[in-house]
Amino acid sequence: MAEPLVLGIETSCDETGVALVRGNELLVDAVASSMEEHARYGGIIPEVASRAHLEAMIPTIQKALGDADVDLSEIDAVAVTAGPGLVGPLTIGASAAKALSIGLNKPLYGVNHVIGHACVDQLVDGPLPERAMALVVSGGHSSLLMVDDIATDVTELGSTLDDAAGEAFDKVGRLLGLPYPGGPHVDRLAREGDPTAIRFPRGLTAAKDQAKHAYDFSFSGLKTAVARWVEARTDAGQAIPVHDVAASFAEAVADVLTAKTIAACHKHGVDTLVIGGGFSANSQLREMAAKRCAEAGIDLRIPPIRYCTDNGAMIAALGSAVVRAGVAPSSLDIPVDSSMPLTTITV
Amino acid sequence: MAVLALDTSAAVAVSLVDEDGARLASRTSDERRRHAESLAPLIEEVLAEAGVEPSGLTAVVAGTGPAPFTGLRVGLVTARTLALTIGVPVLGVPSLDALAVQAVSDLGLRSGAEILATSDARRKEVYWARYRVISHEGPHGVPVVERLAGPDVDRAGFVAQAQLAAPDTEDGQLPVVVGEGAMLYPEFLPVADDAPLVPDATVLARLALVRREADEEQPAEPLYLRRPDVHEPGRVPTGATTGSGATTGAAGGVA
Repeated sequence: MAEPLVLGIETSCDETGVALVRGNELLVDAVASSMEEHARYGGIIPEVASRAHLEAMIPTIQKALGDADVDLSEIDAVAVTAGPGLVGPLTIGASAAKALSIGLNKPLYGVNHVIGHACVDQLVDGPLPERAMALVVSGGHSSLLMVDDIATDVTELGSTLDDAAGEAFDKVGRLLGLPYPGGPHVDRLAREGDPTAIRFPRGLTAAKDQAKHAYDFSFSGLKTAVARWVEARTDAGQAIPVHDVAASFAEAVADVLTAKTIAACHKHGVDTLVIGGGFSANSQLREMAAKRCAEAGIDLRIPPIRYCTDNGAMIAALGSAVVRAGVAPSSLDIPVDSSMPLTTITV
Repeated sequence: MAVLALDTSAAVAVSLVDEDGARLASRTSDERRRHAESLAPLIEEVLAEAGVEPSGLTAVVAGTGPAPFTGLRVGLVTARTLALTIGVPVLGVPSLDALAVQAVSDLGLRSGAEILATSDARRKEVYWARYRVISHEGPHGVPVVERLAGPDVDRAGFVAQAQLAAPDTEDGQLPVVVGEGAMLYPEFLPVADDAPLVPDATVLARLALVRREADEEQPAEPLYLRRPDVHEPGRVPTGATTGSGATTGAAGGVA
């Protein structure tokens, strides 16, 4: 008996993603993005994204089915991002998924976007071990999750208290005068700079923070420190060594993310770490995580970048996992939840 | 065989009619900010009540507004996806057209009478369109109306000034004001007694049937009438309305 075929829909931000997964095998992953429209405005505009999702939904479903040569009638379950994310965009995906569920008479599973970023690794590296750590980092999220069972048991150890890592990169990109989104540009500059040139602060790493925020992150103070440093240089009429600023900033972000994550692995006796989310493309983070995990004897799993950005594959993967685990389907009246707790896997 | 119609331009209205437009089952919900939660269960309920499988539908009809964006999109994406899933056409009907057609029946309006149909656009504005009654009863028992102006979005006072200043209709009367948009601004837009306030999905379905028989195009495209609230860095926000979909055309049994 073949494993169930799950169609996954993702619309939490600016990407319309539709994918098909059977077991841990990805059959197709179709994505439409409205990023080019947002670049004009220097940030994601929810209404612009929502309009784009409405127009992209049917073509993206059709592309996924066509590329995989799958008929809708073959689908066994429909999974959709129910949160966290932007309400307008989430609403489009959820409504489409409900319509598919009614039309096909197949069960609906509303799932958590952030947990999907961790689960997508199963499509690449196979099933997660009994207990794994997941660091999910993107433009919207920076969270450390302990995964005992990806379908039923996830604990949030920590999250950012302010900016997400990718968001901090975009903001530093803006203050260095780089085009939106600035993250990849800062990364590029950082590769040619000296990461030890400037000692920027590491948020929430002081002894006093260990009691309450051992695994939480804060990048807002770091961003401000970079702004102050650049300002002071500018006021003094000195040139800004952008490569060194970028490298030192990137070093601070990667240092905090990896140090806290590895400390959590030690504390909880975990020897597998998954890094997911669009920010996992960051060079400094990848390098430092690889080095520190090797030193600590931790198996590091980072899926290829196309799995890490927002896509339907992560949602179909999580849908597949919850179907296999026998989790009850969602009802047709489920709401979308812009701030869905990270311990909620399905709704 | 049956046709399913959804309207999420105001509250949520769902109706299932047979190929002649006779109502098989219908549901409404007064939820104004929970369209995405309310709609799908209501669709299941009407299908179950009428004993119709999704595969028994020949079309899915959606109200295209104009309406507040998020709720409007819930109806459109639901209709489009359901139609795709079962392999039938999705038909779009402007929600204000349905409201005007309902007004003819509900208020017993005669040929030549005019209707100002309104809905709540929020931000102290109303969506509106103006219609003339062509016939009290057309195919499928659907009154025939012709759209004279709109749909558009404006302040109620401005709409009143432009549309209700003087009796300029064929029958020498003021247009009859209907719809809940006007209910919010009684000082400018006095709503007729017993006027319909929100679109009826059954009427929406019947309009779609009439237009399908007449081979009219029925695009299921949203009538936003406003641009997103954004401005490019360095540019002044305009707040101007777009003209998208704001074409004058016949609504009802005749083109």
